[in-house]
Amino acid sequence: MQPSNLPTFYSITESEIDLNDLLAKITLTSTGAAAIFTGMVRGVTTRGDAHETEYLEYESYIPMAEAKMKQVADEIREKWPVVEGVAIVQRIGKLYPKTPTVLIACTAAHRDTGVFDAARYGIDRLKEIVPVWKKEVGPSGEEWVEGDYIPKPGE
Amino acid sequence: MNHIKLLFFATIRDRAGVKSLEMDIPTDLTIQGLKDKLSADYPNLKQSMQSVLITINREYAFDEAVVPPNAEIGMFPPVSGG
Repeated sequence: MQPSNLPTFYSITESEIDLNDLLAKITLTSTGAAAIFTGMVRGVTTRGDAHETEYLEYESYIPMAEAKMKQVADEIREKWPVVEGVAIVQRIGKLYPKTPTVLIACTAAHRDTGVFDAARYGIDRLKEIVPVWKKEVGPSGEEWVEGDYIPKPGE
Repeated sequence: MNHIKLLFFATIRDRAGVKSLEMDIPTDLTIQGLKDKLSADYPNLKQSMQSVLITINREYAFDEAVVPPNAEIGMFPPVSGG
């Protein structure tokens, strides 16, 4: 099957992330495995600078973010041609602890095809090039979280 | 002169005090030139211009790039999604 016929779904949304709906979108009759990463708001951080979080407020440059999500999906397909479906969703707005904020799922015929690595690449890449930011609000005030990746020409 | 639209996000928007700005710039102005102009015209943005990421029409752009007519310029800190 040509990549253009394979399901790729990406979006920035203010709605709850629906895993079952996304999985259905990227499951083919030939699919036997899905690797899913989801990140959620962590209320209590113990690693590094220990602190508590009341909520995170996400914002995005939406049209660019969706274009960059498509780019991430294209990069996944180039590196792991066995990947069948790709879903990438980032939720924005005010999100409280335990709430899923991001989801990346890749499907393939079998689990030993690199599909775990593909999903890992997807979340790492999203955190590098997809224009989304979060402001952290906690007991000691609010602060924008800034990443550290500087995109290179062509990214 | 070229007419362009600037979009500010996250810390840059907070410092600018607005989400967007429209302006006319010289036709051969580069991204570096645009950063210099904003630093001079908007002192609140001067510090941000040191480390800002810039996009032209939703693609990452760098200091030497010339700003095209009717460009949509995005300005923001390194991303922190996930």
